[in-house]
Amino acid sequence: MRTPLAGLKVVDMGWLMVGPESARYLADLGADVVKVESSVRRDPLRTLGPFKDGQIGINRSLSHHAINAGKRGIVVDAKHPQGREILTRLLAWADVFVESFAAGVIDSLGFSYATLVERNPGLIMVSTSLLGRTGPEATGTSGTGTTGAAFAGATNLLGWPDRAPAGPYGPWTDSVTPRFIVSTVLAALHRRRTTGRGCHIDAAQAECGLQFLLPAYYAFAANGHVPQRRGDAGSPLCCPAGVYPCAGDDRWVAIDASDDASWHALRAVIGGSLLERKFDTLIRRLRARAEIDRLIGDWTSGRAASDVEAALQAAGVSAHVVATSQDLAQDPDLHHQAYFQTITASEIGEGVIRGPQFSLSRTPPVATRAGPQLGQSTVDILTTICGLSPQAVEALQESGALT
Amino acid sequence: MLEDIRVLELSGPFTMMAGQILADLGAEVVAIEPPEGARGRRMEPFLDDVPGLDRSLTWQALNRNKRGMTLRTDSADGRTLLEQLAHTVDIILEELPPGGTSVLAGCGLPQTLIHAQITSFSKDGPKAHYRSSDLALMAASGAPALAGEPGRPPLFFPVPQAMMEAGAESAVAALAALAARDCDGRGQAADVSARTAAIASGLSRVIAGFAGDTLPVRSATTGAGLSGVRSVPGMYTCADGYMVMSIVFGAAFLPMTRQMVKWAIDEGELAPEYADAAWQAFGRSAAASPASRAPIDALVDAVSRLCRTRTKQQLAATARAYKFMAAPVNTMADIAASPQFRERGLFTSTTVSPDGRAIDIPARFIQFSDYSIETRRPAPRLSEHSMEILSGDLGLSGAEIQALFVHGVI
Repeated sequence: MRTPLAGLKVVDMGWLMVGPESARYLADLGADVVKVESSVRRDPLRTLGPFKDGQIGINRSLSHHAINAGKRGIVVDAKHPQGREILTRLLAWADVFVESFAAGVIDSLGFSYATLVERNPGLIMVSTSLLGRTGPEATGTSGTGTTGAAFAGATNLLGWPDRAPAGPYGPWTDSVTPRFIVSTVLAALHRRRTTGRGCHIDAAQAECGLQFLLPAYYAFAANGHVPQRRGDAGSPLCCPAGVYPCAGDDRWVAIDASDDASWHALRAVIGGSLLERKFDTLIRRLRARAEIDRLIGDWTSGRAASDVEAALQAAGVSAHVVATSQDLAQDPDLHHQAYFQTITASEIGEGVIRGPQFSLSRTPPVATRAGPQLGQSTVDILTTICGLSPQAVEALQESGALT
Repeated sequence: MLEDIRVLELSGPFTMMAGQILADLGAEVVAIEPPEGARGRRMEPFLDDVPGLDRSLTWQALNRNKRGMTLRTDSADGRTLLEQLAHTVDIILEELPPGGTSVLAGCGLPQTLIHAQITSFSKDGPKAHYRSSDLALMAASGAPALAGEPGRPPLFFPVPQAMMEAGAESAVAALAALAARDCDGRGQAADVSARTAAIASGLSRVIAGFAGDTLPVRSATTGAGLSGVRSVPGMYTCADGYMVMSIVFGAAFLPMTRQMVKWAIDEGELAPEYADAAWQAFGRSAAASPASRAPIDALVDAVSRLCRTRTKQQLAATARAYKFMAAPVNTMADIAASPQFRERGLFTSTTVSPDGRAIDIPARFIQFSDYSIETRRPAPRLSEHSMEILSGDLGLSGAEIQALFVHGVI
């Protein structure tokens, strides 16, 4: 049986996360993905951790392996004349081309959609940048998902009212954008089956990020409120709902027990003052929020977060440890889902990355593999895709184009 | 692009974004709700802060381009009608309750059908029966533990995020199954869990526990995440709000940080000799740690002073001109006013019920060379399209439809 994207050919010239993560989705569905780097334009993700065993090295970043899992890698210099010829051949071969240079850079390299589509009319090209390719501020704006989150309105929504915004941890739009890109690529592939036409997809990471915040945007557009960070987790219309301290260093549990059934279950577990009749109704609970939160916090702070989660879930209350990386690594539900997959790569030996983000019931899954070592498949790609003879490959190596 | 695809969405918080993405890409989507309305209709904020089944702005925001009908799917008639509808569509989007049983279980479904099934945790693992909530799912994602400051509680967005993550992931999963069906004509189930979808928001942190490297911790301020020198602040007060200024020293980003240095020198706020400072020594991959962080402190002080007297717009323009990494901390009002988003064509106009007032919404999440996301219709009012679907699509008579209403099925 075939994987969903068996035979699909993808060239990934993205870097860091948005482009490469989008291409990983395609690799997980069976596409043949070629990751293009050069030694002067190495994917900076290789320099970001976590590194296997804490040892820094260009092939040791587990972020690199996770986001580039299952791809083949080639090193070629896009500015070298013979390197450009190789790229031209790769882009004539590709069904899907993903690039995440700053807006307009790919055009100046000579690989604009208009140029590529002449030789390859079915090409689906994805360009992704912080603000997209058009608009008065597109050119010159570059950054990462950290600045993307600020443009998208996300950074302003995380923090405390009495302090500067804290923002999400790390490059948030990098996690949001790939879903929108992959959805549109798959829709474009569906259309291409009947029309034979590809298209150019221009994804502004700030605009994709904003989609996850639409209710806040509507609050402004319809009601004129400018939503602000509020620090407290959970909704002000729900009580109790929030995060509570637990025993240990910086341990927390999230509890949402606002509806009647959950509230009665919660107060039965905790007991004490929470059983008082003055907390029977939602309205009274909302008015006594601070007192209720203190009483719950008194109870949780003497207990391990995992014990709180177990006791409350057993009673039918929505509760979960605010999970750290260690919690995730030990989470039985994730292990049950086989979410963690062991890969093997020559420089790191074994490493653990995540498997696919979802599962299909009938078509076979693609085994999770390591990301490419820098230039790991250069010769293979030159011979099998670009059709070069061993002599031609050797000449190319001497030309300096493969650096 | 998906104009030939019909979708039935059994509306729940997890399905809303999925159905909207498919609808935006051209699919014909029908949202099925119980007669008392989908849960999404009771989600804040509300139009003019007045609650009502047609007043939820979350519902309005996540159901554009869909038609909507009501159906009590646990009644015999409702179930039969649902089964009939299932035979007319390509994709079903469904949020499964804890325990994972579909309302379509036992129905005869066509072989060609794609059935995206979204659970909170796993479908049948140790947490399959967990009571979930957006708060619990985000807590379980690993991201909030990293957001905020040590000594204060972890931070969560004031907008539910697990439902967004689950919905966006499910759109991908459903279209992946469509790609398979385009090859061999057969449908299948696509299983998504909201928790694993939400794990994406913590980026690679999910695998950090296995790496044997130092573990990530909550960091004080945005912007420091890409540097090995964690104490470099990324957030700066400016004349009209805040700016994120990315001061990072990894090899790939160093040229941009050097441009920020150049700007601070050009403005007279940083001594010219810092142009030649060994900034690369502050990168994580640098072999030796620097003897002194004085250059960083000098740069941070200079940038702080420069930001205080300038607006977000001025600073963003400077970042573009100098090519360093910086971004305005946009509020929703800033986004609405931004010439960048507006001139690029992010916004379409739609109406919000019940009074039909028009607002501009950032609907065009992606731009295409030969397709454009448009708002073909606003989010449906409760039961808005029940009549046309029951009579047009299912061939029921007027009397039969009235009978269904009298009996509480619709």
